[in-house]
Amino acid sequence: MPADPHSRRPAVGEGPVTRLALIGLAILFLAAFLALPLAAVFSQALAKGFGAFLKGLTDPDALSAIQLTLTVAAIAVPLNLVFGVAASWAIAKFNFRGKSLLLALIDLPFSVSPVISGLVYVLLFGLHGSFGPWLRDHGVQIIFAVPGVVMATVFVTFPFVARELIPLMQEQGVEDEEAAIVLGASGWQTFRLVTLPNIRWGLLYGVLLCNARAMGEFGAVSVVSGHIRGKTNTMPLHVEILYNEYNFVAAFAVASLLALLALVTLAAKAILEWRFADQIAAAKR
Amino acid sequence: MTAVASGATVRPAKRGWSFLAPTILPGFGTAFGFTLAYLCLIVLIPLGHMALRAADVGWDRFWAITLAPRVLHAFYVSFGCALAAALINAVFGLVVAWVLVRYRFPGRRLIDAMVDLPFALPTSVAGIALTAIYAPNGWIGALAKAAGFKIAFTPIGIVIALVFVGLPFIVRTVEPVLQDLDAEVEEAAASLGATRWQTFIKVLLPAILPALITGVALAFARGVGEYGSVIFIAGNIPAVSEIVPLLIVARLEQYDYAGATVIATAMMGVSFLMLLGINFLQRWTRSRHAR
Amino acid sequence: MAIEIRNVEKTFGAFTALGGVSLDVRSGELLALLGPSGSGKTTLLRIIAGLDHADAGEVSFDGQDTRDRAARDRKVGFVFQHYALFRHMTVFDNVAFGLRVKKKAERPAEMDIRRRVGQLLEMVQLSHLASRYPSQLSGGQRQRVALARALAIEPKVLLLDEPFGALDAKVRKDLRKWLRHLHDDMHITSIFVTHDQEEALELADRVVVMNHGQIIQVGTPAEVYDTPADSFVFDFLGGVNRLNGVIEGGVARLDGKAVRVDGEVGPNGPAVIYVRPHQVELDVAPGDGVPEGKWSARVSSLHAAGPVARLELDLAGRALEAQLSRDRLSDLALDVGSWCTVDFRHARVFPAKN
Repeated sequence: MPADPHSRRPAVGEGPVTRLALIGLAILFLAAFLALPLAAVFSQALAKGFGAFLKGLTDPDALSAIQLTLTVAAIAVPLNLVFGVAASWAIAKFNFRGKSLLLALIDLPFSVSPVISGLVYVLLFGLHGSFGPWLRDHGVQIIFAVPGVVMATVFVTFPFVARELIPLMQEQGVEDEEAAIVLGASGWQTFRLVTLPNIRWGLLYGVLLCNARAMGEFGAVSVVSGHIRGKTNTMPLHVEILYNEYNFVAAFAVASLLALLALVTLAAKAILEWRFADQIAAAKR
Repeated sequence: MTAVASGATVRPAKRGWSFLAPTILPGFGTAFGFTLAYLCLIVLIPLGHMALRAADVGWDRFWAITLAPRVLHAFYVSFGCALAAALINAVFGLVVAWVLVRYRFPGRRLIDAMVDLPFALPTSVAGIALTAIYAPNGWIGALAKAAGFKIAFTPIGIVIALVFVGLPFIVRTVEPVLQDLDAEVEEAAASLGATRWQTFIKVLLPAILPALITGVALAFARGVGEYGSVIFIAGNIPAVSEIVPLLIVARLEQYDYAGATVIATAMMGVSFLMLLGINFLQRWTRSRHAR
Repeated sequence: MAIEIRNVEKTFGAFTALGGVSLDVRSGELLALLGPSGSGKTTLLRIIAGLDHADAGEVSFDGQDTRDRAARDRKVGFVFQHYALFRHMTVFDNVAFGLRVKKKAERPAEMDIRRRVGQLLEMVQLSHLASRYPSQLSGGQRQRVALARALAIEPKVLLLDEPFGALDAKVRKDLRKWLRHLHDDMHITSIFVTHDQEEALELADRVVVMNHGQIIQVGTPAEVYDTPADSFVFDFLGGVNRLNGVIEGGVARLDGKAVRVDGEVGPNGPAVIYVRPHQVELDVAPGDGVPEGKWSARVSSLHAAGPVARLELDLAGRALEAQLSRDRLSDLALDVGSWCTVDFRHARVFPAKN
């Protein structure tokens, strides 16, 4: 076990009692707020035995929710990945006017309530929305249908990849790209052979966070989905429905699947941070 | 690709105003154009459209809806609970960050990784899990009940959910600053005769404060808009434990689009003003304690 | 290949990096761009490489205007200050990069690429490190990889931005010699940027001294050192005494006595007399006053390590540095506190700036 970073400096640092008290306080706090909920999810899911747990997961509505969640993430994450790469290329590698405004606008979805993120699309495409009547006349349904769920998810997960890549690419500067171009590489070759390998771990990191949020989004999706079982219910929505029907075991069974996803995400994130700290972000070094 | 796009064919730039600084890297036009178009399509047009719809309602009705007692109370609950949770997190988040940065103990890395759980766990899962624990028949709820008070289905429950949601914001903004603190400064304070506590209050805290305020602001902003983790534990009793996002959803379910739009716009307005205020506060602390 | 630079201008916002610079680079020479930071030397180098675009003026290679030739088509070898090695590629792959990204029609066969990269690595003495990654190399080794990589595309011009800036003193000297030999073998027109006057004087065939976006002087190392164009060059090339005097009727005077100066003497008024320490002539003070046309000074400190002795003198309240051989010092038998007479073998005078 490595020594405390401050233990080699005897003049500073707390005494053993204070130290233990602080560690104890932190662990107690985290146990109450993080570990306990996680434990609750799994214990409630298995409260009526493994059979009931499995039944909750293999219910056709649950399976359809799982499928929809995967579909939505499979559309939203690549879209925001392409956006994130394009935005960070433009912002990190070039100097242009209004850059900080663009940065602030990209962050905007982070500070919008998820409920509002759904609402804005209802106001556009819902039955009483500005384009609602037109869409109805042409037989297109967005709200209370899968396209709306996808849109709301894209909105909510919009900044994730860009937010990881921009500082990373800013720190890497443009020298590598300039070197490649002077050596005769085309723009595409430069991006593929030099830029992409430089940002690959940061990219993966961003995708990981984006995906976790895409699969777990609740508020925004809840507003636009209409909660149609077997059709527009994602896993988080399905959890809510089951819970409100007092079908706790099934609700927690589906919830445990999502909790597992969260744990896998955290583990992958931790591995990336430990192994590739310098290639993920300047700030995490 | 637009004219500014390809560095290769850029003519010597004219002097004076230019949008893009000259460069030989290609692809700016494509990347910037796509970024702007996508941003407008996904974020700016929908949000702007909502503001326009709110403006359509008219001033008088706008204020009538916003200032209705039930709505006002929901604002009070949302902002009050978010602030309380952010302040609680400021204390405990700082302790957690301190312990993770300064001390080495078994399980530190595990705990470090777990701090991000609220980022990764879907909010509805967090909501039902917290409810299960803090409801009167839950693990902690039962203890509280025995002690004679109720957590779930009261504003306390909301605060607890928002503490959960906001924790990583504080820890992750304070951690890097704690890591970068120069140990020599602390040694200097000690050599000048300061006690550990004096050193913390007079030397360390001022250095951490800007980051702490940033973390509080982020947690607060997130808490105000939070929906999924709150609605299960809140009980949603009008004028007691009803939050603004829930009110918006309720109006939508009654097809009261105008009401939902107005409340949502008002909420974004208030959040924006508060963040602006926090921004000023931050600049002020930063200039006072410039490192 | 010869390079002609005509009236090149470049501004960054309100900052003028280059204010109308013209320069002829001769084919096969090794040229140094020397100047303090902000003098525009790196900007000029980047414009030649096509990494920056001039606001006005032109750069031509062997008489051909380069304006419409993108950086990737210029066949310029560029060694970046921090090398810009691709860190996810091995040394070998770094050097091979420029060959592998060629269009299919021009790309050598993989076997030829291997042979060519092998030769280059041998030349920079790094064959044994071909499969290493840049992070596993020392600074000097990275520098040589960057050089090999730039040479792989058989450039007509080699441009080096502060090539030794990031290295420590010992490695720097070794690499300097090595680079000079390399240039003598290959005779590629080469331009390097440096702020280190010693490096420029020692390495280059010709030195271009720059300041504030202007070329102040171009010449061989001996020319710029011995006959600096102005006070800036005199100062920048280091090791100079500045003595406040006056110009009266075409004669420079220090404490009323005339100073023999090379070159022009400016208009009447306050002036600064520049003299290099090794041009200060010392002699034993005679018993009876100061000889005609000489000055008297007292030794205030003395550093005699190595073949050259350095003396600090007090010349009527001014600090004056002098250099002389150890033999001469022992002939004069000077010590701290002793008096001597002072004369200047070569000096220059420039009007004082306010």
